[in-house]
Amino acid sequence: MTISEYRTITSIFLNELPNEPRASARAEPRKHNNHQVSYLAVRASIFSTIGVFSILLTLLAPKVHAGGFNHAFQTAQQRAVKLYGLGAGQQVGYGTGIIASEDGYIVTVLSLIVSGDRIRAVTADGSRYEAQLIKRDTDLQLALLKLNKPEDVDRSSQEKLIGPLPHYDFSCQQSSSNTCHEPLLPGDWIVSAGNPFKIADGSEQMSLAHGVFSARTRLDARRRSKDFRYTGDVLLIDAITSNPGSPGSVMVNLQGELVGMIGRLVISNRTHTHLNYAIPYDVLADFYLAATQSPSDGSGEITTKPQVESFDPGIRITRTGFRTVLPFVERVVRNSPAQRAGLRKDDLILSVNDREISDVSQFTKRMKTRGPADTIELVIRRKRRILTIHIDPPIAKNQP
Amino acid sequence: MKSRTIIILLLLLSCPWPVTKAKAQTKEVDSDTALMIATQQVFRDVAASMKSYLVRIDTVGGTQPGKKLTLGDDDEQEGKKRLQNPFRDTLGSSFVIADGPATGIVYSRDGYILTSSFNFAREPALISVTLPDGRRLAADLVARDYVRKLALLKVDAVDLPLPTWRKSEDVQVGEWAIALGLGFGGREPSVTVGVISALNRMQGNAIQTDAKLSPVNYGGPVCDVYGRVIGIAVPMAQRAGELAGAEMYDCGVGFLVPKTRIDIIAPQLMDGVSFQRGWLGIQVSSVPGVGVVVKSIADPSPMRDAGALPGDIIEAINGAKLRNYADLAKQIYMIPAGEDLQMRLSRDGGAIDLAVPLASAESLGRLPEAEEPFDPSVPVEEKTPEDQDQPSPE
Repeated sequence: MTISEYRTITSIFLNELPNEPRASARAEPRKHNNHQVSYLAVRASIFSTIGVFSILLTLLAPKVHAGGFNHAFQTAQQRAVKLYGLGAGQQVGYGTGIIASEDGYIVTVLSLIVSGDRIRAVTADGSRYEAQLIKRDTDLQLALLKLNKPEDVDRSSQEKLIGPLPHYDFSCQQSSSNTCHEPLLPGDWIVSAGNPFKIADGSEQMSLAHGVFSARTRLDARRRSKDFRYTGDVLLIDAITSNPGSPGSVMVNLQGELVGMIGRLVISNRTHTHLNYAIPYDVLADFYLAATQSPSDGSGEITTKPQVESFDPGIRITRTGFRTVLPFVERVVRNSPAQRAGLRKDDLILSVNDREISDVSQFTKRMKTRGPADTIELVIRRKRRILTIHIDPPIAKNQP
Repeated sequence: MKSRTIIILLLLLSCPWPVTKAKAQTKEVDSDTALMIATQQVFRDVAASMKSYLVRIDTVGGTQPGKKLTLGDDDEQEGKKRLQNPFRDTLGSSFVIADGPATGIVYSRDGYILTSSFNFAREPALISVTLPDGRRLAADLVARDYVRKLALLKVDAVDLPLPTWRKSEDVQVGEWAIALGLGFGGREPSVTVGVISALNRMQGNAIQTDAKLSPVNYGGPVCDVYGRVIGIAVPMAQRAGELAGAEMYDCGVGFLVPKTRIDIIAPQLMDGVSFQRGWLGIQVSSVPGVGVVVKSIADPSPMRDAGALPGDIIEAINGAKLRNYADLAKQIYMIPAGEDLQMRLSRDGGAIDLAVPLASAESLGRLPEAEEPFDPSVPVEEKTPEDQDQPSPE
């Protein structure tokens, strides 16, 4: 049986079964009129079809893995490590990481756990390793670790270091398109394997969480009261993964292909709720390649953020005191990019680059944190009309 | 429809064995996984098809709802303000309403947009709506249902595409529920999936689902596998407050207002009529072994007009027997002002049946001074839902 055939069968069951029969049954409860006879016939044929197909399935089914999410989860959890390290106070910190190479590179989130002197990793078979922080990226909040030889092997011995480990391949990516896995669409099942609340020990299986992929969006979030550094794309999911220990978990699709890694615990600046999200595969792959290819200069720091000078669009709004003020444009600088784009005095600015703002301080903040040299997209309200204005950067950069 | 089914089934039945066998070589999946793939395709299709009915709502201005106002006993002016804002309460200072965009759904071809009143708790100065075709228009807030947490907006537009609605009577516990929202911005809705977990919640005002609902999709639709709208996602809880239930986001207990209710509510909202929370205007106490006893009655109030007296015992409301204050609260929270309650009182051993219309907060008078001073040693003193926003005696 191919997937498409199954899809046809199941979608027919899903689409045709539940409602029509009951509607007719209710309309004519007693009489066996033509309508209902045909309904009975349909029902009989449906059941016989199910019967026939289940026989077909049993006959045809080759030796396949057990059903549901099992295949995806097993693939994922064999390629994940349980991490232990520095924690708050006397507690041991714990988390999860993804095995990125057969010789033991680990991609995980940048957190307290990987900041201590001693990091320990346990693979799916229960082997314990010491791990070492190789690279960190504070903008992406990611860390690259390398496993050293297993803990139970004599340190002087040169025997058996790191066997070929099952791992996810980060080298097959093309940054623009996710070529390593089927494109993920909203509504697709996702499965994560991780160690929330450090429930699993040694070779015990990690915890599975399942849900659907909700949307891909830019992260705008905070940790405690500070804004979270990472502002790139994230994959929002409806599985609850905002638990201690979950960050660094492997997230895969139904086929068991890596689609992301569960990120650190954050609160959204938009909804003010805890977010359940993953760092997308392409971001992880970019980080991994940059981290493994750049020569180690000892600092362990890498940065992926391009440094570009931003321009002054020429919009003047002042904030008076501590009062919340609606962002009405007070003045547009002559011959400025904003004036050329058609912005006028008294326009009310509703959003900057698709991020809505509700007061002057938010406007100032958005302008500071916007993409450096890109076009600024403003949505404004002028009387009853709502307009979109694109402010292009000045063409000649050396002009004052 | 039926003939189509039969034809498809016949085609399937006649599906030749060798063809199936030949294709079996390509990619093997077990039946369980195949079902997953099929459902995944259904979720994708629903998300894609609903995109043409979802609108994004942005608001500008307004403030976070304030913390609970403290009311001086002699400050009548502030007391009045407090009464007029019976929903400004509940979640404490740690809860902050979403700052991001909100979700709505096209309700009529000529520009009525249905959404949740939760999205306007900040009383924004301006509301804009981005239609599915990308047009962004200024919107007017027509009316709100503070009880069912719905709101109706109007934009100047014509010939908007309308979604199909699901008959509420057909909805079954256990069937898939797909929730969509635009609360993270952008054009693509975010999708969360669960099942219908209970029917007939909140006095018939809500259907319960375990799909994750949060400010991301409050005001957005919850759909069935055919892409029909079962209802509108709203925050709800069995207590008063404009934000009640918002703290339960993403927890697996979420509510949607079904089509049957919306059919009743929406026409009134279109006429500009808002639904306010209903008040009886009484103070009661739960007496163990006796029931809910009326302590004092405000003047004017619906209970006084109906002829109730202090000392009456409220036996039942709308046929449901009351044992304590919580039972009473449950019967009243989800009933808006203007609707009648069927109440059975017992006075001196005899039963009295009354039809009591609930009143809005503004039309209530003050409660008379309690005859006995408050005695902290009596623990069962409890307030009616009508009074719970008033300060307790110090």
